[in-house]
Amino acid sequence: MDKRLWFSAATAAVGAGLMVATAVAAPTKASAPLKAGKATAGGTIVTELSTDVDYTDPQLTYYQPMWELEYATACKLMNYPDAEAPQGGQIQPEVAAGLPVISKDGKTYTFTIKPGYKFNTGEAVTALSFKRAIDRLTDPKLASSTSFLVSDIVVGAQARLDGKASSVSGVVASGNKLTFKLTHPAPDLLARLSTPPLQAIDSKLATNEDPQGVNNAASCGPYYISARTPNRSITIKRNPNYKGPRPHKIDAIQVNVGNTPEVIFQNVTKGTTDYAEDGVDPSEYAGIAQKYGINKKQFFTRPELEVDYLALNHLPGRLFANNPSLAKAVNYAVDRHAYTAQRGFLAGNRTNRILPPGMAGVTKKTEILKGGYPIAVDNSTLSKAKSLATGHTADGKGLMWAPNRGPGPLQAQIVQYDLKQLGIDLQIKLLPRAQQFTDARVKANADYDINWSAWGADYNDPFDFINILLDGSSIADTANNNDAYYSNAAFTNQMHKAALLFGEQRDAAYDQLDKAMMSQDPPWTPILNRLNRLFVSSHFGCFLYNPVFEVDFAAACRT
Amino acid sequence: MFQYIIRRLLWAVVIFAAVTVITYIIFFVIPADPAALAAGKSATPEFVAQVRHFLHLDRSIPVQYFYFVKNLIVHGSLGTSYVNRRSVDTIVGEAAPVTASLVFGGAILWLAIAVPIGILSALKPRSLADRMTMVFVLIGISLPVVWIGLILQWAIGFKLGWLPNAGYCDVINPPVGATCGGVVDWARHMVLPWIVFAILFAAIYARMVRSNVMDTLGEDYVRTARAKGAPERIVLIKHVLRNAMLPVVTMLGMDIAVALGGAIFTESIFGLPGLGRTAVQGLDNFDLPEVMGVVVFATLCVIIFGLLVDILYGFIDPRIRFE
Repeated sequence: MDKRLWFSAATAAVGAGLMVATAVAAPTKASAPLKAGKATAGGTIVTELSTDVDYTDPQLTYYQPMWELEYATACKLMNYPDAEAPQGGQIQPEVAAGLPVISKDGKTYTFTIKPGYKFNTGEAVTALSFKRAIDRLTDPKLASSTSFLVSDIVVGAQARLDGKASSVSGVVASGNKLTFKLTHPAPDLLARLSTPPLQAIDSKLATNEDPQGVNNAASCGPYYISARTPNRSITIKRNPNYKGPRPHKIDAIQVNVGNTPEVIFQNVTKGTTDYAEDGVDPSEYAGIAQKYGINKKQFFTRPELEVDYLALNHLPGRLFANNPSLAKAVNYAVDRHAYTAQRGFLAGNRTNRILPPGMAGVTKKTEILKGGYPIAVDNSTLSKAKSLATGHTADGKGLMWAPNRGPGPLQAQIVQYDLKQLGIDLQIKLLPRAQQFTDARVKANADYDINWSAWGADYNDPFDFINILLDGSSIADTANNNDAYYSNAAFTNQMHKAALLFGEQRDAAYDQLDKAMMSQDPPWTPILNRLNRLFVSSHFGCFLYNPVFEVDFAAACRT
Repeated sequence: MFQYIIRRLLWAVVIFAAVTVITYIIFFVIPADPAALAAGKSATPEFVAQVRHFLHLDRSIPVQYFYFVKNLIVHGSLGTSYVNRRSVDTIVGEAAPVTASLVFGGAILWLAIAVPIGILSALKPRSLADRMTMVFVLIGISLPVVWIGLILQWAIGFKLGWLPNAGYCDVINPPVGATCGGVVDWARHMVLPWIVFAILFAAIYARMVRSNVMDTLGEDYVRTARAKGAPERIVLIKHVLRNAMLPVVTMLGMDIAVALGGAIFTESIFGLPGLGRTAVQGLDNFDLPEVMGVVVFATLCVIIFGLLVDILYGFIDPRIRFE
């Protein structure tokens, strides 16, 4: 026993000694902070994510922070310029030599590939590099969540997804020509082609069918992913073979994963991290704004392509079925200011329309519809709401679904109070967000009258909001994005027509459709457009925010 | 002895089956649809069905459980994550050493604090040292781990900068791009988590050691040893501590086993990629295979450590027989 006790004591002493020694040892050598001043070429930008990305594989990832990083690594047929809004939201050819040649029936697009683009491995980018991406995206063994980008419009894509074809017949690569054959005209093809899953891939990745994806694939943008350790880090380096026009100032981007938002705030404050990619604790933003100012050097706010809304259920038996008067009344009654405030300091701007700012067709002047629903409630708006609601509240009872975390519960209470003014006794059902999201998509489960909801763009085209969320002809038993179960035959027809238009005509048509739906038969109560609150270190220079892909790492530099 | 171990192992199988079945049932009682989540927000009904088949979620729960057990026993596989399709074996294998670093380092620390304090208090009850010790115990037990963690992290890690405020460094093979690695960096990053993790246990153990030593000091055999003229040091070490430490060994084994299943709060505060954080992520994402991986690992730890403690008991106290 003596020996055991002495051994224990010695072990404890060694352990304690080790702790003391390590506590006083020299700190880890980190990248030395540079003094604030001129931008310098080279260096590393360190960014942090509290939650790891789903994948780094271009055909598998469906996670905004990864798409943000891929804006720096990918080369695509069409892309958005390294610029702030509104210029940054205007799509332009990247690897395509120019805009495509479109057949008269609008169903065939032919691109010519610009020479000179290369992957970091040295392999040249050709028309085949893009066809490979589409073949891989629709590979049934990969079961990619982003296959929807082509499955509904490209000939042969669904057959490939169903395992009936070894490649997508509607995409043909021949020399420097790439042809897309579509099942129906789809002018939003160009916007879809700007998404990361449709970037060029090299011959090695093309043959990879591992459903786990790859951690680091070759890429042909200004940067490439050189390494990834899941749950720990992603290392992105400059593509030595990139000769394109996009900026590429820094040497590397280091993404560290796993710290809490509180720690990330501390690290950015200290300057050991340069950017809090998925944000810091919301309670910190007021202090950050006070200390650094807004949109000056270290703290920026920019709009997201997103809308938070209350989906008004139009299914038979629910409050808003064939009841546009009540839908209008709710739009007049809901206190958008109070609702938005629950998200925290500078978390969003109030809105009264479906399409968010930054979306094609929505200008600074039309972000809020003039003559539309009030973004601030007062006695007159409440009177208007009451008069619209009178005689349209059915049995005066309703049910609202909301998430049980974050601002959801408080926002639901605000709506409950506002509807009480209209004579509606709204019960609130709080659910885990994942359950709320999946249940609301199943028609038979959607027993709510109002659903707390939000939608972020997959790509910058109004189709991704209006048609995806409100097309009554696409309502199915399951997997509905139309959580208002909105089905207005006249507007559905107009949506289908607008989807076939190009350019300014298209933008104008969707703008009009948005206004018309909201004024005549509102599907929702749109409430706010979220703001991205971006906290960067004093070393993060050349800050540029692209309205579609967000922070532009390719343009970043160290100061 | 052999029969005892066989009997314990058979019980372990029963415990394992019960724990995994209950976890399965709890998971499927939650009415979220993992296939719809994995398919993404823009998925069509057909694609959700395809993903459901891909993830084997189109089978009945008993069939899914059967395949889970079969995979585990026949292939030694815990399956693949619904969210990122990584092998759960790999996920648990990567996370376990991190949690082990925290738990074993923390255990050394809490024993180094608790045993001397407990003995000292027991030898001089109601003295100033004893009262101060009990104040420490009260504080250690009362303060929430999360609060202590956040305060130490903010004060020592952020404001004073004496130690890293969070993160983990590998002793060997740090990932590409890592800014730290090696024993010293590893230990520097673990000091604060060790302290936070150890405080509660140190307080509990100090009280337990004090109480056990005080009880043992009053035993007849201790009085006899003193009457026979044995030196106080020998009485303390050979007669008092040997008996007083028996319950401590039991507790230690169980506490370490349970903590190896994931020290959720400490790992979350300090961003340690261990089993606790893995379990939280799995629950957040409705990722059953990941949660099951951690549950299976934790169950095995409890079973193995329970067995080890029982065997160790026989060596520490020869009066105990394995019947």
